[in-house]
Amino acid sequence: MSASLAERLAAYLSRVWAEPVSVEQLARIPGGASRETYRFVAVTPAGPRSLILRRDPPGSLIETDRGIEYAAIASFHGRGVAAPAPVILEEAGAELERPFFIMSRIEGGHASSPFQPDPYGAHAAAMGEDFFGTLGRIAAADPADLPIGQAAETPALDQCWRRELEYWAGVIDTDEQHPQPIVRAAIRRLRANPPPPAQKISVVHGDYRSGNFLHDDTGKMLAVLDWEMAHLGDPLEDLGWAMDPLWRHFEVERVAGMVGKAEAIGIWERASGLKVDPAAFAWWELFASVKGQAIWISSAKEYKDGGYADPILGFSGWYTARRQDEIIAEQLERLVAA
Amino acid sequence: MTPSVPEIIRGCTIALATPAPPESAGDFAAGRVGLVSMLLGLSAQEANRCVAATIAENADIRALFAACGDAAVAEAAREIDTDLTIAGLDAANAALRRQLIALHERVEAAGNHDLDRQITALYVRMARGRRLELGRG
Repeated sequence: MSASLAERLAAYLSRVWAEPVSVEQLARIPGGASRETYRFVAVTPAGPRSLILRRDPPGSLIETDRGIEYAAIASFHGRGVAAPAPVILEEAGAELERPFFIMSRIEGGHASSPFQPDPYGAHAAAMGEDFFGTLGRIAAADPADLPIGQAAETPALDQCWRRELEYWAGVIDTDEQHPQPIVRAAIRRLRANPPPPAQKISVVHGDYRSGNFLHDDTGKMLAVLDWEMAHLGDPLEDLGWAMDPLWRHFEVERVAGMVGKAEAIGIWERASGLKVDPAAFAWWELFASVKGQAIWISSAKEYKDGGYADPILGFSGWYTARRQDEIIAEQLERLVAA
Repeated sequence: MTPSVPEIIRGCTIALATPAPPESAGDFAAGRVGLVSMLLGLSAQEANRCVAATIAENADIRALFAACGDAAVAEAAREIDTDLTIAGLDAANAALRRQLIALHERVEAAGNHDLDRQITALYVRMARGRRLELGRG
């Protein structure tokens, strides 16, 4: 009988740390659809350590570079952004057979589902201050001073938009199973009306949104999660993604279910020291929806290719894709009428 | 459209029938069952109306083709749906959508703003016609 995941993880840690380690309370946790995510306790001679394992799955929502995700976490841990401490990056997979990394576990708090109505209740305004303020601090950081600046490619200021758009348009070209006229119209519009160059190159989290952080139910963020799509680029990219209607908890007025759009932009501008150019931001808002649809289209293909076994891929490729289509169509209708 | 209702139901069956390793019990397993439950609820909605919704979308696209004066879509405008299975309607829908994409590209290149607005309004109707509502079985 083959060794269990806990046994293999214990063998790996014992070898790498050169001391006897046992693994207890290993449990997979929901979320983190692009990597398998587990919590566990490593019991060492010095005492127990509460940790998180992020392991590459056989198939996933998106192909991402775990080395860059690890560098992104290392870039912000202890630098004014709630990020866990990086512990080990294992690119070869070793005893776990697939690449993985380990980071510290932040205790307490929970992530709210992006499809839960009013998840922040009376603390929504405080949550918005912390959420958009944290994003502003990420945008303000100079990548050259950070580990991710060494791990990720730095685009030219005037090429950020093109690199992102062509990447996600390429994902749609590759993974589309049923013709998608709505998102294709949006892609053509984005190509025909490019934004001005980025005002600076920033770290872009890539999936900064409601539902992707731990909070304490009193409006305080405890940890920013899922850095798997982190890269360097235009800081407006994350802001557009964070405000996409998909992540508004079915609300119209409050972005991310927290605060009004103008207020969110104000919080972000104060924290980042940057300005939001309305025309540039309109481009990144539409782009966010195109990127979302590319991910959902990819999910639908992965669902089929994986024999329909993973329900999160089915949900993303079906319900979420249809909501995103509606969001894009309404954006296009407003833009064409303008 | 993909995934279709038969694919989703097949997937739910597979997800429920596949034994999970010990480390995937607890929160992860509960979350997975919750997702399967949501998918089955959405499948109930979709099963009840997907044939009608696809027929309506196909008719809407053909009506625009008939009115737009573009010769390349004139033949498609005259077609009718004869295979009323989900797979048959989806195949007809895929063919119509491919022609709609090509038509929209021509319209944009020609600067035909009026038809551009009509096509964009059609997109809104198409998307709303396929809307799924969470929490409504």
